[in-house]
Amino acid sequence: MSVEKKKISRFELLMDAGFGAQKAGDILITAFAKMGKYVYIEPMIPAEISPPPRTRPALSGVIIRLADFDITNIGNDTDIILASHEIVLDRRIDDEETNVNCRVLLDMGDKPANEESYEKVCKRLTKMGISTYPFEITAESKALIQSLSNSGQNMYYLGMLSSIYNMPKEIVIAEINKTFGKKLKEEILSKNIKIYENGYDYAKANILFSIEVAGVPSQTEKILIDGNTSLSMGIIDAGIKLFSGYPITPASSIMHTLAKVFPSYGGLVHQAEDEIAAIGTAIGSYFGGVPAITCTSGPGLSLKQEFIGYATAAEIPLIVIDAQRSGPSTGMPTKTEQSDLPAVLFGNHGDNTKVILSVANVIDCFYAPQMARYLTEKLRVPVMLMSDFQTANSYKVIDKPKVTEMNNVDDIQDFVLERFHMSRLPANIEMVRDNQAAPGDLQGMRRVTGLNSDHLGQINYFSKTSQRAHAIRNSKIHEVRKALTKPEMFGPEQGNILIVGWGSSRGAIEEAINSCRAQGIPASGIHFKIVYPFPLMIKEIFSKFKKVVTVELAYGDEFKLSPLAMLLRAETLIDVQPMIAKATGRPLRPRIIMEQVKELLS
Amino acid sequence: MSTHVENKSAEPVTVKSLNTDNPRWCAGCGDYGILMGIKRFMVDRQLQPHLTVHVSGIGCSGRAPNYINTYGVHSIHGRPITVALGLALARPDLDIFIESGDGDALSIGGNHLVHGINKNFNCVFLLFDNELYALTKSQTSPTTRKGHPTNTQPSGTYLDPLNPLTLVLGAGASFVASTADWMPDHLASTIAAAFQHKGFSFVHISQRCPHYDPNAFDYKTSSWFSFLKHEKGITPDKRLAEKTEVVEHDPTSLEGAFKYASSERRYFGLFYQNSAKACYDDILHKLRDSAEKKPRAKILDRFQI
Repeated sequence: MSVEKKKISRFELLMDAGFGAQKAGDILITAFAKMGKYVYIEPMIPAEISPPPRTRPALSGVIIRLADFDITNIGNDTDIILASHEIVLDRRIDDEETNVNCRVLLDMGDKPANEESYEKVCKRLTKMGISTYPFEITAESKALIQSLSNSGQNMYYLGMLSSIYNMPKEIVIAEINKTFGKKLKEEILSKNIKIYENGYDYAKANILFSIEVAGVPSQTEKILIDGNTSLSMGIIDAGIKLFSGYPITPASSIMHTLAKVFPSYGGLVHQAEDEIAAIGTAIGSYFGGVPAITCTSGPGLSLKQEFIGYATAAEIPLIVIDAQRSGPSTGMPTKTEQSDLPAVLFGNHGDNTKVILSVANVIDCFYAPQMARYLTEKLRVPVMLMSDFQTANSYKVIDKPKVTEMNNVDDIQDFVLERFHMSRLPANIEMVRDNQAAPGDLQGMRRVTGLNSDHLGQINYFSKTSQRAHAIRNSKIHEVRKALTKPEMFGPEQGNILIVGWGSSRGAIEEAINSCRAQGIPASGIHFKIVYPFPLMIKEIFSKFKKVVTVELAYGDEFKLSPLAMLLRAETLIDVQPMIAKATGRPLRPRIIMEQVKELLS
Repeated sequence: MSTHVENKSAEPVTVKSLNTDNPRWCAGCGDYGILMGIKRFMVDRQLQPHLTVHVSGIGCSGRAPNYINTYGVHSIHGRPITVALGLALARPDLDIFIESGDGDALSIGGNHLVHGINKNFNCVFLLFDNELYALTKSQTSPTTRKGHPTNTQPSGTYLDPLNPLTLVLGAGASFVASTADWMPDHLASTIAAAFQHKGFSFVHISQRCPHYDPNAFDYKTSSWFSFLKHEKGITPDKRLAEKTEVVEHDPTSLEGAFKYASSERRYFGLFYQNSAKACYDDILHKLRDSAEKKPRAKILDRFQI
């Protein structure tokens, strides 16, 4: 058997929902990470709980990217797919993310009852030049799976994949024990391990290739964490004391995580009766002087808009997390998109003054709540913290972030501000109302209202007072503008083409620019974490490039500008064009960015 | 509402010290009576203004917090309960009052009323019920009487009004009382009883709107209503009680409460009180206070590989 040594590889496990594909993926990446390999995992989750097996909507699985160097995104194309039957495979092939050398391991167990369908899919693979490796779960393992009421199939596939990726059996078994040791009875656990070993041995004997990606166990402390969990921990570290939310995908898992752990850190988790109630309660808490946060996705963002405008007018601090998903309306709840930008920026009626903070990766997720608290408490304008399905659910091995245990926002550390490319705000920011006391202050009794108010906090409909209030609210945003430093750039600071992105596209942009430059293609990139306001120097940065183009997971075409391109054009009067503006629900791919750059430059 | 540890100011609380700028309600508006009732109660109790928050929605009622010198949040239409809950969760040391109207609480904010009642968090909820939308200039509200012409149903309101008292009793309210803007003593005693109750204390206040519906309440006579009376209840208005029926009703009887609440005749007094109902704010606070304390410094340790 030949072992192919690789620096990087991507594979997928595709199964029906409810059969443990994600669990198998979690076990495998933890084992990879223990061996010092870098991993990035993207789960594929159906929007329904358990669609009928052997149907296209039932597809549930994981994409795992594995490398001997730090990776920042899920990458381009898949080298190996293991599919439990032909239908989930056929569905996934539609996404066109396999490479020319892709090898497919297809479980033929369902074939006798579905001859025609299997043949059709196999023919499709052959036509695409994909080599198929048919296999069947051994009779012994089938019997074991049956004795476990039809579960454990994922352990067989886990065995095969860990053999193909040349993993020592015992390291994976140790992870299986860690995952299920406390939950499963001894007998059931040992059957699962037996199935795992059978799959491993089967692949060793029958699959005549294996891939090895090198890894050196790290000397620094590393953690394996997904975006929403990282955000949850960041909320605790930022000293926020109340979480107020309403169930919605993909934001919900933040509430699940905090519900388990927040009380131990002095926090309260409130599940509201609806999205509007959730934000109202966060506002009430912050008026009481207690930092609070609310969290939503998709339709929930629309419902929260009136209160976002209210917090702006009443000058009550407010942090809203928007874990974006595909829209409009309910769209695709478990697919990623970056199309909420206009709704977040302009969604409430009247003039909009707010700061939009986005996260590029799981480390940003940990520090973003501190930034959000700093900004909203200093400025008393809403801070919108934007993530997306991809960042929320993808796991990555990272150096353990520094826990700062923030209490007072003025204690925010410089490295956190630098991470978001911002310097410290001035100590005194002018407010519409002179008095901003919280209840309990004997001298500070005051009333806030969404009605126009003067500097004493009195309701007032005079022209001058209204103009003054607008100017002050906007001057708060201008203070941020002035405090913003140069955003992160990849490649030289002048040239033919500049790729612009924000939020979760950072990894794909960085990798695409690196690949371009390695091939001698002159391209540069820039990435925004604070998406509104933009720093004052962007026009100057952009003007040093012949072409400035955006890559966004939001729809655009020749007549319709995509959100980021639209904003940047308005801000700079530079002819920024969308280069990639797609709403497929799939993450950006570095290779596609590179191909587009080549085309634009040719 | 219940009591808190008082961090008293040296100055006594007076009606004058509770005044802010002049209210902007119409002449003769029932809201003036309610505002005075709230202030009289605060003076009687010497409630500390800096530890008191009035929260309101939108409408004529929504303006109330602006006219009381305490802390106040004049929030958005229909949602004051949600803001008040945030304050109750974050600051259990505060006394929280909600001022809402029939449109605010029963129409746009109906969902929150039901869930505020179910959560039974500690606050006094005052429903200013003038039986129509007034600030938006006379539209039909959920409590507008059938046949009454409004700008949106000019031939006369189409439906029978929704009954706020049976609604809240049905939702499981732990305290339900009713009073009117034109009986100051009864109003102040009702607020006092509501404050004394721990949980979501619902107070229905019949409120006159002389501008859009001067005939809604015959506040000069009293034969059209009765008072509910009990040793655990609220003392009927002395002056008015002499001229009308006073009914003995035990406020621990839910059956009796429904009987009077659903009657064609109007009753003022304490309909229902259940001191045993759990409070959501207490539950969350206990959950936090009894949880094993963990150091923030080690928060990422469990993700270590």
